[in-house]
Amino acid sequence: MTTKRRLITDSFKVVKRSRKGGKREKSPTPPPSPQKEADRIREEELEKLRQFDLDWSFGPCTGISRLQRWERAKLHGLNPPEEIRDLLLQTHADPEYNLSLWSGYPL
Amino acid sequence: MFSDLSVQKEGSSLLCRPASEDQGPVFERTSLAYSQCSERYRVGERSFSRQYAHIYAARLMQMRPLLSERAQQKWGSDVVIKKLCDLETAEQCCIVGTLFKRMDLQPSILKEISEEVGSSAKFTPHIESSYWIVLLTTFFFLALQHNLLPQPARAKYIHESDELILEDELQRIKLEGKIDKDKCVTGSVIAVYGAERNDGKFTVEDFCTADLPLQKARPPLDSDRFVLLASGLGLGSTHADSMLGLQLLVDMVTGQLGDLGEQSGAATISRVLLAGNLLSQNTQDKDASTKAKYLTKKTQAGSVDAIRLLDELLLQLVASVPVDVMPGQYDPTNYTLPQQPLHRCMFPLSSVYPTLQLASNPYHASIDGVRFLGTSGQNVCDIQRYSSRDSHLEILEETLRLRHLAPTAPDTLGCYPFYQKDPFILEECPHVYFSGNAPTFDSKLIKGPDGQEVLLVTVPEFSSTQIACLVNLRTLHCEPISFSAFSADEDEESEMNVSH
Repeated sequence: MTTKRRLITDSFKVVKRSRKGGKREKSPTPPPSPQKEADRIREEELEKLRQFDLDWSFGPCTGISRLQRWERAKLHGLNPPEEIRDLLLQTHADPEYNLSLWSGYPL
Repeated sequence: MFSDLSVQKEGSSLLCRPASEDQGPVFERTSLAYSQCSERYRVGERSFSRQYAHIYAARLMQMRPLLSERAQQKWGSDVVIKKLCDLETAEQCCIVGTLFKRMDLQPSILKEISEEVGSSAKFTPHIESSYWIVLLTTFFFLALQHNLLPQPARAKYIHESDELILEDELQRIKLEGKIDKDKCVTGSVIAVYGAERNDGKFTVEDFCTADLPLQKARPPLDSDRFVLLASGLGLGSTHADSMLGLQLLVDMVTGQLGDLGEQSGAATISRVLLAGNLLSQNTQDKDASTKAKYLTKKTQAGSVDAIRLLDELLLQLVASVPVDVMPGQYDPTNYTLPQQPLHRCMFPLSSVYPTLQLASNPYHASIDGVRFLGTSGQNVCDIQRYSSRDSHLEILEETLRLRHLAPTAPDTLGCYPFYQKDPFILEECPHVYFSGNAPTFDSKLIKGPDGQEVLLVTVPEFSSTQIACLVNLRTLHCEPISFSAFSADEDEESEMNVSH
C-alpha cells in the first residue's frame, strides 16, 4: 500500500513570518549576551591562573592556595605578576580561582 | 671563672663557728634581660595536607641568593652560575642545589614491601600517585600477612654504594669528584663548582656552603654571669642512679650547697636551660598501643609519674631561678620538629611561677643580649646516623656552616610540612649554639669569616654523665660541672665531686 506520506504542511499551511531582515541586522550589532561574555572573561582569567600554576619558578603548587603560593614567591623575591594577585583578591570566594589546577585530585 | 669564685673566698667558712646570730649574707641573684625569639618555631594552624616538596622548594628559594653570593666570593665575581637545565657538557660553571644522598641502607617502607612482595609484583617507578596509595595499602596488608619485619635499626646507614645527587628546581645530576659523599647529608643546600662530563655526571672541583650568617654584636658585660645548660635528665627511668646528682644540681643552683663562696657563685647563675629529654625513653610504653584495651584500662602511662617528679624538681628550681624547659625526643609533646612547648597543665606546682618558661625545640632566645640557639639534639643524632661524622661538636659546627639547623628534615627527621619558608635556616648568627643529649661534653669557640664569634656546646645527657655545663655570658667560655656521686673510674676520688 502506497500511502502517501503526508506532510504536516498539508494540513497546516506554512506561515513564514516575514521579518524584514530585522533578525539579520540584529545579530551582529548588539553584544553577545552578557552571560557568554562573562564566561569568556572567566575562561581567560582561569587560563592565566593555570599558566601561573604551571610556572615552575614559583615552586610547587599542590596543597596550597594560589594566593599563598603568590605570597611565597613575593617573599623570596621572585617577582610574581601583580595581575595574578589582583585577580585572586577580587575573586577570593570562588574555589576555582583560589585553588590550584590540581586541587580536584586527591594528594 | 665560676670555680675560682668558690675557692677564693675564705673556703673554710663551713668549718668555723657561725659568725653571729643573724642569718648571714644574702646573695642576690643577678637577673638578666631576657626575650624569647622562638615565634618562628611556633606552629599555628596545623595542616598536614601538604607535601614536603614545599619545604625543599622554599629552602632552595631562600638559600639560592646566599649561596650565589658565597660562590662569587669564592670563585670570583665572573663565575658562571647556572641552573641544571642550562648546563652544557664540559663547561666550567657553578650550580646551586639541594643535595640528595641515595642510600641503599636507608629504611624505606616501599623497599621493605617490594622485597617481600617483589616476586609477585614488580614495581614500576612511574605510577600515578593515586595508584600508589592503592598499591601501598594493598602491599601493607600483604606485608602484615607475611609478618614482615622492619629493616633493622642501625647505628649508621652509610654504605659504599651511596650516591650523591644535586637537585635544583627542575632537574638532578649525579655528583663525583672532590666531595666526600659520606660527610654530606640529604637536604643541605650547597654550591658546587666543576663541569659535566660526557657520561652525564658532574665532576666537582670544589664546593661551598652558605657559611655563618651575620651576627649582632654582643653587649659588653661588666661581671661574670652564667647560664646553666643541662639535658637528658631522664626522669622515670628504671634505674635511678642520676637522682642524687640531679638533686645536687638543684641544690647547687638554688644555693643550698657549699659555703658562702659557693653560694655567691651560685647567685651568678642567672638562668637554667633544660635542653630536652627530661623524661626517660622508658616512659614511652610502646606496648600500650598494641595491647587490647581491656588489658591496659587500669594502667597508668609511665610518663605520668615522671612528669609529677619533674614538676616537683622544677618547683625547687623556679622558686629561685628562671628556668627554660625545652622538650626533647621522649617528652610528651609533638614528635615532629619544631616541637611545641610542653603544656602548662602538666606542671600544676611550678607553672604558677612566672620564672618557668616552657620553650619550643629548637630554642632561640636572647639572654642579656647574648643570642642562644639550640636544639635537644635530634638533628645532630640524625646527621650522625646518616653520615660518617661521629663527633656531635663537629656535626654542630657543620650545621652552622650549612646555615641550617636540621638539613635532614624532612627526609629522615620528622618535620612539620612548612610551605612559606623554612624556619630552620639561620637568619642571624647566634652567640651560643648548642645541642642537647650528646654522649659527652664538648665545647669550642669558632670564628666566622665576618668576625662572628660562636660558642658551640654539646650538652651531655645528664642521666648518663651527671654533667651540666655553665656558659659565661661575659667571656663566652663554657665549663662542665660534674655531679657524679660515684665516679666510674676507681682511681678518681670517690667522694662527692662537684668539680670543674
